[in-house]
Amino acid sequence: MKRSALIFLVAALAVVLGTATPLPAAGRDVLVVGVSSDIHTLDPAVSSDNYDWRQIYPSYDRLVKYKVINGRGSTEVEPMAAESWTVSGDDTVWTFRIRKGIRFDDGTPLDARAVKFAFERTLKIGKGPADNIGAIQKVEAVDGHTVRITLKNAYGPFLQTLATDAASIVNPAVMQHAKNGDLAQGWLATHTDGSGPFKVVQWMRGQRCVLAAKSDYWGGVPRIKKAIIRFMRESADRRMALERGDIDIAEGILIDQIPALEKNPAIKVLKFPSQLVEYVYLNNQKPALKDPRVRQALNYAVDYDGIIKHVLQSNGIQMRGPVPLGMWGHKEDVFQYKRNVRKAKALLKAAGFAKGLKLTLIYSERRASWEQIATILQSNFADIGVTLKLELMSNPTLRDKVDRGDFELCLGAWSPDFADPFMFMNFWFDSKLWGLPGNRSFYRNPEVDRLIRKAARLSDQQKRIQLYSQAQDIIMQDAPYIFLYQVNTIVPMRKNVKGYVYNPMLESMYNFESIYKE
Amino acid sequence: MPAAAVEPSRRFREIRLTTGILARNPSALAGAVIIGAMLLTALLAGVLAPFDPIHISLADRLQPPSAAHLFGTDEMGRDILSRIMYGARISLRIGLLVVAVAGGLGTVIGAVSGYLGRWADGVIMRIMDVILSFPSLVLAMALAAALGPSLTNAIMAVAFVMIPKFARLVRGEALAVREKQFVAAARISGEGSLSIIRRHIIPNCLNSVIVLATLAMGETILIAASLSFIGLGAQPPSPEWGAMVSVGRKFIMDQWWYATFPGLFILITVIGFNILGDALRDVLDPRIRR
Repeated sequence: MKRSALIFLVAALAVVLGTATPLPAAGRDVLVVGVSSDIHTLDPAVSSDNYDWRQIYPSYDRLVKYKVINGRGSTEVEPMAAESWTVSGDDTVWTFRIRKGIRFDDGTPLDARAVKFAFERTLKIGKGPADNIGAIQKVEAVDGHTVRITLKNAYGPFLQTLATDAASIVNPAVMQHAKNGDLAQGWLATHTDGSGPFKVVQWMRGQRCVLAAKSDYWGGVPRIKKAIIRFMRESADRRMALERGDIDIAEGILIDQIPALEKNPAIKVLKFPSQLVEYVYLNNQKPALKDPRVRQALNYAVDYDGIIKHVLQSNGIQMRGPVPLGMWGHKEDVFQYKRNVRKAKALLKAAGFAKGLKLTLIYSERRASWEQIATILQSNFADIGVTLKLELMSNPTLRDKVDRGDFELCLGAWSPDFADPFMFMNFWFDSKLWGLPGNRSFYRNPEVDRLIRKAARLSDQQKRIQLYSQAQDIIMQDAPYIFLYQVNTIVPMRKNVKGYVYNPMLESMYNFESIYKE
Repeated sequence: MPAAAVEPSRRFREIRLTTGILARNPSALAGAVIIGAMLLTALLAGVLAPFDPIHISLADRLQPPSAAHLFGTDEMGRDILSRIMYGARISLRIGLLVVAVAGGLGTVIGAVSGYLGRWADGVIMRIMDVILSFPSLVLAMALAAALGPSLTNAIMAVAFVMIPKFARLVRGEALAVREKQFVAAARISGEGSLSIIRRHIIPNCLNSVIVLATLAMGETILIAASLSFIGLGAQPPSPEWGAMVSVGRKFIMDQWWYATFPGLFILITVIGFNILGDALRDVLDPRIRR
């Protein structure tokens, strides 16, 4: 009896105080970021997760990078590994001149061959990142430092896509780790091999991931020597660690705890309007959810206003259509679901579920608010006669299930990598992209497929807006997801952390190469 | 009339004597009062609780204790006092169910093992030893995780780990009772083993079983709360105390009341069962008794 009481106490204490062994307060050249969940993979050709990219992105160079204007990340690009480029009159053939002297860690030069290898590898693997650079038809090494990329069609955001994680230039020498034709996917899942300013030197599952700065980075040596990403499941842990100074930046703090943090003189809380949205994947292939009326009913059940006002403390707005506010293609007059219990019940009845329905929602603690959102959904659905079972799981497990379609409902978050509605309209609804790549509701509507694929091939923005607009009207009726809200990104950090740049295209990612501590 | 049974009037006297001794024992009294209060709360939760325990009201979330909400509200705006009251039902039901299942099975297993002796005893008790060799919480965690997180599975898991505690106790008593004259008499007069176990062995072990059952209630409630705390027991929106502490700890720095009150109730209930159990042991032990 006494012993089990002790075990309970110790277990409770361990959870409250954080299970990781306390690390000594980091020095000025070590930046520690506390985040909510472990990462999934380090392969830039496989991962579609900003939480992975947080580690991958600073480990590689890309042809171009997003420009920082007045301390804010923009969607304009500037040279990185490419020092200049030219484009053919019809915008389909791009020729990049690659900066000389960039080398990977083993001495292999970053040249036209490396760029060709990296892009072809990503396209061949064909996971989510392949769709980011999907406009590419072929890549040719014209000479040692000139690479010519031919597009399938003129594509407006093409240069931007080259600044995304998917366009990371991988060392061609990784092929020595290839097994059974996997293009070294197995090895790159747990290692990085790029020419970027950092390199992943340690990844202890469930504990931390350590990035070490390279002392000979061509673009200037980072001011910090190490960036440590600590996985700390509890928002309260991260907050305490931040207040104690054990970590320098805390991600995903519950909004309820923000006011208290703002009062701490050693901490600054940065808030940015983002294009990050949170939504519910409704697996359209599961029996009950096949019926659009059921999906509409669930959309009508949610108390959007209550969630935004109370859980988000008004740090967000309800989504209107799939394209967020601030992105072109956002349709201001598209249909928006509001809570309407009577209508929801009528729809369920029409669908043959008058007696109720049992569904399961899976979620992780990736976002601190998700437990509350899940509980509210459970209660909201109960009002229309739907019993919702909640299943909490680790984020990597959850992502595997989503990829396999082994779920009914699941909470998700999404942010764009480049400023084009393609990021939402094509990724979310194209029936070729089922699973993690983007269509996580396993939705299929041939008409929508036709419209969004046509829009993706056009370069005329007005025509594209029109096509996307038509698709949005169909989508809102089909209700493949529940669109919840678009949130502000809140980044609490110690006051001595300087040089942080937020870019809505690089959500949850850090410019470790220029951050420093005073 | 079998030798082991007691005539009604004598049994009545026994009970009066027992309660008399108990009433003079302050800690037993305190334990009984706590348990009584908990039982009453659980039974009358529907009448006493000021609010619906699972109805969310976002506008009232995370209110500190006040006249309207004595223990404050949680992150869904639910009244914590009401949730604790309904939670008493869950905790006590878990305790009773587990003790009934584990006590029942454990007693039978122990009695059979002790009475039959020899190889049957050896086999059964080694199995029990294997179960006992794991810390109960760890084994219950493993079982609950394997069965899948739900309250029913948690109850089964806890019951499973509690069985050997009863079996071992009863087996020890059975070994002693087996040697008694009235058992020999019954055997000689042709009574079968099963019947002897049922009519002589088990009734004579009941005192100790009652004491252990009381103590086990406390431990059971604690293990079940621990399972819910780590997400393997009661599932949301169920107002289980351990689950409430689990969610409440996320808010512990600014909203102290959330985790504190359910935690206090776990503490009080477990203490209640423990001191009552200790007192019962003193009272029911014939060596101390007179």
